[in-house]
Amino acid sequence: MSEFSKSLSVSASALRAQATRLRHVSENISNADTPGYRRKTISFESARNAANGTNQVMAGRVQLDQTDLTRIFDPAHPLADDSGHYGGSNVDLMIEIADAREAQRSYEANLKMFDQARQMSASLLDLLRK
Amino acid sequence: MDVRSISAAQNYAASRPATNAVPQPGSAAEGIKSAFTDFAATLQQGENIALAAMTGDADPHALVQALAQTELAVETAITVRNKVVEAYQEILRMPV
Repeated sequence: MSEFSKSLSVSASALRAQATRLRHVSENISNADTPGYRRKTISFESARNAANGTNQVMAGRVQLDQTDLTRIFDPAHPLADDSGHYGGSNVDLMIEIADAREAQRSYEANLKMFDQARQMSASLLDLLRK
Repeated sequence: MDVRSISAAQNYAASRPATNAVPQPGSAAEGIKSAFTDFAATLQQGENIALAAMTGDADPHALVQALAQTELAVETAITVRNKVVEAYQEILRMPV
């Protein structure tokens, strides 16, 4: 396996990790109005690929954000307690959008690296063609 | 008889075996063989992942990565083959 193939596989692992991150962000946003929902966060972990000796990135375990749920006043809601409040979700749309944008930027950077490795190997082979 | 012609004939006889192709174990042939095996494996993996992606099993990243690696392998093989054919033609054009 050449170095170019290794960089391709490392970039692909980063793309996969960012796609997983984006999936969790969209889960958070779609559950923003679910009562009692806690937003999911993931961490990235460096994983050594024994097959080709590269350090790839992979999405780690899902953790739930333990901050307090927002108290929403709605006495008509079936989940409302004696004071007329119920616990909504603790999703902040601003944070989720920022996280999604960060995932997009990182995805673009890894896509560029993927393309760079491809172009470098193609131009290396072009030398033999002349 | 010219002594130089004898010496030239001896030199020719001595250098004659050098032109025979002597297969050396564990060198070029082995390298080419492993390269071809690697090439076939890369191609096979690309086919498998493409098939899985068409049926909805593999993620697109794996597909793109496998296809890029297949493209790289095929281009390498084609370039090397062109070089070999070119060298062969060069030998055929040699005036005898």
